[in-house]
Amino acid sequence: MSLIKINNLYKTYSSGKNIMTEALGGVNLSIEKGDFTAIAGPSGSGKSTLLNLIGALDSPTRGSIFYENIDITKIPLNKLALFRLEEIGYVFQAYNLINTLTAIENVEYVMLLQGISNQIRRKKSIEILKRVGLEPYIHRFPNEMSGGQQQRVAVARAIVAEPKVVMADEPTANLDSKTAENLLDLMKELNEEKGITFVFSTHDQMIMSKARKLILLKDGKIAT
Amino acid sequence: MFTFIKIAWRNIIRNKKRSAITLSAVGFGLGALIFIRAFVDGAHQQMIENYTSLVSGQIQIHARGFHQKEQLEIYITEPEKISSSLKENPYIQSFTYRIKAAGLVSSPEHSAGVYILGIDPRHEKKVSTIYKKVKEGTFLTESSDKGIILGIRLAENLNVGLDEKIVIMSQALDGSIAAGAFHVKGLFDTGTEEIDKGVVIITHKAAEELFVMHDKTSEIAIRLKNVEDAQKVSTLIRQKLNSSELEILPWQEVSTVLEQWIEFDNGFIYLIVIVVMIVVAIGILNTVLMGVLERTREFGILLALGTKRKQILAMVAWESLFLGVIGSLFGSLLGILLTLQLGKTGINLSMFSSALTSFYMDPYIYPVSKTDHIIISIALVLVTSILVSIYPAWHAANLKPVEAIRSI
Ligand SMILES: Nc1ncnc2c1ncn2[C@@H]1O[C@H](COP(=O)(O)OP(=O)(O)OP(=O)(O)O)[C@@H](O)[C@H]1O
Ligand SMILES: [Mg+2]
Repeated sequence: MSLIKINNLYKTYSSGKNIMTEALGGVNLSIEKGDFTAIAGPSGSGKSTLLNLIGALDSPTRGSIFYENIDITKIPLNKLALFRLEEIGYVFQAYNLINTLTAIENVEYVMLLQGISNQIRRKKSIEILKRVGLEPYIHRFPNEMSGGQQQRVAVARAIVAEPKVVMADEPTANLDSKTAENLLDLMKELNEEKGITFVFSTHDQMIMSKARKLILLKDGKIAT
Repeated sequence: MFTFIKIAWRNIIRNKKRSAITLSAVGFGLGALIFIRAFVDGAHQQMIENYTSLVSGQIQIHARGFHQKEQLEIYITEPEKISSSLKENPYIQSFTYRIKAAGLVSSPEHSAGVYILGIDPRHEKKVSTIYKKVKEGTFLTESSDKGIILGIRLAENLNVGLDEKIVIMSQALDGSIAAGAFHVKGLFDTGTEEIDKGVVIITHKAAEELFVMHDKTSEIAIRLKNVEDAQKVSTLIRQKLNSSELEILPWQEVSTVLEQWIEFDNGFIYLIVIVVMIVVAIGILNTVLMGVLERTREFGILLALGTKRKQILAMVAWESLFLGVIGSLFGSLLGILLTLQLGKTGINLSMFSSALTSFYMDPYIYPVSKTDHIIISIALVLVTSILVSIYPAWHAANLKPVEAIRSI
């Protein structure tokens, strides 16, 4: 069974009275456990829309998204937060972190919501921050770190609670190419070491080339 | 929970300037509230004290109907009975008898309608302060049965001075004409026009003779150990004497004008309270709402990560509460220190004093801090700070994660 299976997914945005944008027009795809998948495509092709839907942050107009045998489009909104908390890690494009929490506090935050004990939280957070090469920065606030360092903290936060999948919408968009490559290498290492499934979007050739599976989107449809 | 409180607290620290402005608004608001309340309480205490001690006393006992009609025929028949009961009452400091009647005084040149007060000089001194207001000559003594004292303004109008003779004319209890000649022994200046222009005082004994009222009296005026007990002690006396023939009136009923004035002032305070609460509310709302709006993306991320809506609500409410609590701390410190300091030195209002003395106020007002009033003020500010956070908190908690994250 696939980790994630998407059937005939549609998303139409309505902005204003008569303006409808079909951002996704019948997407089918599956993601397997341990995948390192890139969703690529030009601007406006629907990458963010797709990732938001897979990430349970938004609901589709039509279609289903199965996590193993649970269709998350059927989960009521008030239970969705809990699903996200338990099953999915997120890395956004930039400014991912809570500004008033230090690096380690940001990493601990998700585990805190999960009700994991203080000691374990600390231990795991330090471990993971060491792993992403930020040991000297654990007590820094976001505005005391570089963009690349912040994204590493975000990756650490996304994986620390061992989610089923990590969603990353253009995680490198705000980084220079060298830093972007380093972040991708880190994600790939973590994917290989810990078997964490990653799905990320990009329109950068270099980043695409790092993916093990590539899904190309064009005008809201998968291009073959 | 602790992390949400930590986030709330750090958001306040991070926006030092904005928080400082809010805290000063809350602090000054509460400080002003506490101080104004104390000022008015002080003024009221003074008004009550001055009013009740000048002539009225804090509780008056009459035969039923006297307060309204003020007729000589409505008199207390057996004052000694009441007197022995009052002596046992632990709340009462002292009391005195008075005969009260309307009449006419004449000097060789002029005459005027006046209020005639027959007092017992020794006891009167323990109940009222009119003896302190004698500016020329002396107060009456037990033996000055032919002596009279009157207001300085009345003396001017009659054109009489010390040791000169004036004549009182009135009607006695038995219907006969009451007339007598008295020597001016003293002139008082209370600052209250109606008294200085319209009252003459003779001894109780002289009044008994003049009005043919032996062993009777019109009024028993009581001074309490604590003026705040007036209503309570009135009820006690009523129960004790248990007589339908008598009326026992605390000062609030003696001077409904004063009571109404105080009520009006208190009503005015509510207006000030509302204004201050609005200032406090706007101050906190502004800070918290701006903080929430500029952190839209952050709330989006918090929600995306799985933060519950009620946790977001709590976060924003804490921020607001912190501002309220710290502001209240400043405010109560400011208000209490100001009250204590000015409570010692007094506030000089002498430039308005000519207007004030007619309200029984002194040129100096001493604010008094009452614990219950301070607590109410602080509680109001805290409740306001929580109420005001409802809108921003609700706004933050109901953001849609995707949209919130899109907004930078
Ligand atoms: N909230 C929205 N309301 C209306 N239209 C939207 C909304 N979000 C996205 N769209 C539209 O849907 C389409 C897909 O947008 P989406 O953001 O998914 O593209 P993308 O591939 O992520 O683009 P980019 O590479 O620029 O981030 C676009 O035409 C966009 O204008
Ligand atoms: Mg996008």
